[in-house]
Amino acid sequence: MSKVRDGDIDKLGLLFARYKKPLYGFFYGMNKDSALAEDLVQNVFFRILKYRYLFRGDGDFRTWMFHIARNVSHDHFRKNKLRKKDSIDNWQDRLSSHEDRSTLYVEDEEKELLSLAMDRLPEDKKEILLLSKFQDKKYKEIGDILGCSEGAVKVKVFRALQELKEVYKKLEVRH
Amino acid sequence: MKGLETTMDKQRIEKLIETFNTGKASPAEIGELETLIEKSAVELSALSDLKVLQDRIFDAAVPEPTSRLDNQFLQLISSHKPEARINWKQMFSWPNLVPRFSLAAVTLIAGLAAGYYLRPATSADPQIDQLSQQVTDLKEMMMLTLLQKESATDRLKAVNLTQEMSAASEKVTGALLSTLNNDSNVNVRLAALDALKAYTNDSDVRQSLIQSIARQESPLVQIALAELMAALQEKSSVKEFEKILKDDKTPRDIKKRIEENIDVLI
Repeated sequence: MSKVRDGDIDKLGLLFARYKKPLYGFFYGMNKDSALAEDLVQNVFFRILKYRYLFRGDGDFRTWMFHIARNVSHDHFRKNKLRKKDSIDNWQDRLSSHEDRSTLYVEDEEKELLSLAMDRLPEDKKEILLLSKFQDKKYKEIGDILGCSEGAVKVKVFRALQELKEVYKKLEVRH
Repeated sequence: MKGLETTMDKQRIEKLIETFNTGKASPAEIGELETLIEKSAVELSALSDLKVLQDRIFDAAVPEPTSRLDNQFLQLISSHKPEARINWKQMFSWPNLVPRFSLAAVTLIAGLAAGYYLRPATSADPQIDQLSQQVTDLKEMMMLTLLQKESATDRLKAVNLTQEMSAASEKVTGALLSTLNNDSNVNVRLAALDALKAYTNDSDVRQSLIQSIARQESPLVQIALAELMAALQEKSSVKEFEKILKDDKTPRDIKKRIEENIDVLI
């Protein structure tokens, strides 16, 4: 990244090849829309290029990148408040549309239920679980992204998992 | 005592984890567990139910992005290539300017040195100086001799000779003024006046020209003098011209021309 910052733009291709998949996974996990997830990944790399001079080089690039990804995600949902609105109707819509897509990606019932349960979590809880997945449970780095301590991140993950467990149980009973 | 407390704490924590894992933890116990998690006294991996859930999230397959994303990225890169736009900041940065200034300075010094060594050799040889002085002296002598001739053509030649001299001596200007005042031929006097124009920077020559005004009887010379004085803005010449204007012999047209030149001077 330091080379990109100093003007070697071609080196960004290496970073793109390495991180496009986790970034795409993060955005896809957040909104379950593949075209939108691709657009948001593109948006992240656009911002990386635009603000490359702000990368100080003393921190982890992956952490900096997910910090930008989180801002991109928030900006998108701020612009599209209707999508973010977690009403029962929205849940119904997303449930039915997700069921169609889920047949493409989720093979067994347990995975499908987990995916549905994740979708029913509030944005912040879904975000913390996806960050812990794509940041390989590095809670200190996640704390840097969210602007809180490592301990606070662990508590957030704990609460998110607790709620996920509850939602999952309810879905299990329904199925 | 402290060791005993630690053992008790450990036992209490283990019991709390066990209660949570069996799903019987009260809200107060969950709150206590959160405090312990925040202090890293309890790891999330110790909570079996949650660990299973988190592992399943980790294992869940992530769909692959399509080639559309790669294409979009390539477009983004090509639009940000540095050669696509001029980087003014880099162009005027010191690392770029220093070699340019150095080259400019070396070229300037080389030019000055070449100019110094290739300059024409002036007055380098004293013999040449002496020779050119002799030629000037010869020309002066020839001119003064020709001015004495009876033939007006010779005297004109003499006056024209002064134009070939780079710097005339007092002797030459004196001879020209004498010709202007005393020569019988109007053309010779006009040529002398023309030759004297080159020496009007000399205040003595200017003064002599002013004094010459009243002496001139030829209207052509009078007008030529009046025009020269107007061009030189010599206001002290006005008195001399007024003498000519008062003279009844002066033709009316000449008076009119002189008056016009006096108006310019005043």
